[in-house]
Amino acid sequence: MNQVACKIVENRELTKGNFLLTLRVPRQFTKPQPGQFVHLRLSTEGEPLLRRPYSLEGYFERRGIRAVRIYYSVVGRGSRVLANHPKAMELDLIGPLGVGFTPSPKKTAILVAGGRGVAPLLFLSRRLTEKKKPYVFLFGARSKSELYGVREVKGGRLHLATDDGSIGYHGSVLDLLEREWTENGYTPEKAEIFTCGPHGLLHAIADFARARGIRCEASLEGPMACAVGACRGCPIPLRAGNGEGRYPAMCVEGPVFDATAVDWERLP
Amino acid sequence: MRPPVKPDLRVHIGGLELRNPILVASGIIGYGKEYENLVDLEAIGGIVTKTVTLRPRAGNPPPRVVETAAGMLNSIGIENPGLAGYLAEKVPILRELPCARIVSVEGEDVGEFEELVRGVDGSGVADAIEVNISCPNVGPHGLRYSTDAGMAREVMTAIRPLTKLPLIAKLTPNVTRIAEIAEACADCGADAVSLVNTFVGMAVDSRTRKPILGTVLGGLSGPAIKPLALAKAWETVQAVDIPVVGMGGIAKPADALEFLLVGCTAVEVGTAMFADPGLPEACVTGIADYLRAMGERSVGGMIGAMEVPAGRGSIRAGMAQRHAARVARSKGGIS
Repeated sequence: MNQVACKIVENRELTKGNFLLTLRVPRQFTKPQPGQFVHLRLSTEGEPLLRRPYSLEGYFERRGIRAVRIYYSVVGRGSRVLANHPKAMELDLIGPLGVGFTPSPKKTAILVAGGRGVAPLLFLSRRLTEKKKPYVFLFGARSKSELYGVREVKGGRLHLATDDGSIGYHGSVLDLLEREWTENGYTPEKAEIFTCGPHGLLHAIADFARARGIRCEASLEGPMACAVGACRGCPIPLRAGNGEGRYPAMCVEGPVFDATAVDWERLP
Repeated sequence: MRPPVKPDLRVHIGGLELRNPILVASGIIGYGKEYENLVDLEAIGGIVTKTVTLRPRAGNPPPRVVETAAGMLNSIGIENPGLAGYLAEKVPILRELPCARIVSVEGEDVGEFEELVRGVDGSGVADAIEVNISCPNVGPHGLRYSTDAGMAREVMTAIRPLTKLPLIAKLTPNVTRIAEIAEACADCGADAVSLVNTFVGMAVDSRTRKPILGTVLGGLSGPAIKPLALAKAWETVQAVDIPVVGMGGIAKPADALEFLLVGCTAVEVGTAMFADPGLPEACVTGIADYLRAMGERSVGGMIGAMEVPAGRGSIRAGMAQRHAARVARSKGGIS
């Protein structure tokens, strides 16, 4: 983990309110793992005051140039400021931070993405493709225009779902997961789930996984202040039997957690 | 041309000499290790640890932080490993730190404060103890000791004989007259007071019609509180003769200068450091640059050097004279 200055290579609006940010990172930036995040200072003028954590959509090295990519939506004060930052501007970045996904060596990975939660899973899918590991990518969003990155999924089977039926299965990605699991005869010994998306969806996927004893890792999001484990401002509540009396910090023990251990009822 | 003289930045809090007046506030930097790649501890005066309580605390339910206008509301609830955890896990870390280590403690009653002070004193790595009698986020006892001069007196009187380490009482601004609490602490053996802890605040999500923080109320910090904090510091330096450690909303070196000019002996940097981990070091440089520009040889020359035009600025009778005496003292050297 380092604090580095990064130049904006590109900050492009792909679809309404959804941006792809590419940042060139210097040599001392440690190679990040899928699921890790960076803490960006969006302004030196105090608005917003705090940094914002962004999950990485990818990491690229080409001809000695290193870059990270962030896929974000304009949802609040921080992202509104970020969306206006021009190409070539320098941003102060701390990272890579947190603990990423940890795929088991011999299991088929089932990646389940909801909306902009697709970002860290695209990063993971590229890593799995590099390692020639089998995976399935299930991707749900409200409509076709929000399915960012479908062309990025190369080495694995891709199934889409939209709430409005504009493409793929008309319904929830959770239905796709249930169908995939049943039709392919997966068992908890042969397959595992990696997921990211709205916490309501993650809650449902965690319940699905726990009921069947499936290993399931979910990447969470939420406000953070320090992002290095000092301020204790990003606690994750755990279910009984998973270490009560303790709140792991999302920033250093996550943002990827065992989804079946998280107490989703108490998570905002 | 002669090279510019490097100004003497040393200040004293009780028997503790700090190499410069910049500290990192409690709750910001953990126990020093969390920020190890990001902050050069050799450049700053010291750190105040996350508060240690007698028993471990899991902290408050989420959400614990929310950004507000030029500020941050928090309701962490002093998540910490307790005294035993501090001794086992944190003391080895603190032992290696290349700056002053001020250990913050908070008890639920006088007996707990006594046990904590004994324990921290015995741990051998503390250079001073900050007595946190002002946390707004730990239930009914949190603010009691620092909103009631009698109770502040009770705690300080009980713990004073238990240690030779400098005791710094950390005060809440959520009182009508902070100077009264500071005087009580000074009378009962505090070597210094530090202020301000956070202002009680809240935020509501109008869409869900729910409070944003898990505990409804929290503490406000950040640039929004700096003018409020500065006024509390100014009120306090006029009332007590012990050093005052100022904090609240310091976000740039010029903010630190303001606290020193009103009479604070040292300052603590907090919330703004989350955005800018280099801020404490920048404040040290900023003070040195300022002293050079003003032709001062030591930081003592600027502590309390604010000049209040005659007939203005006195909060109550006699304060202006006390302030003048303080300025005269500070010009004579570092107190």
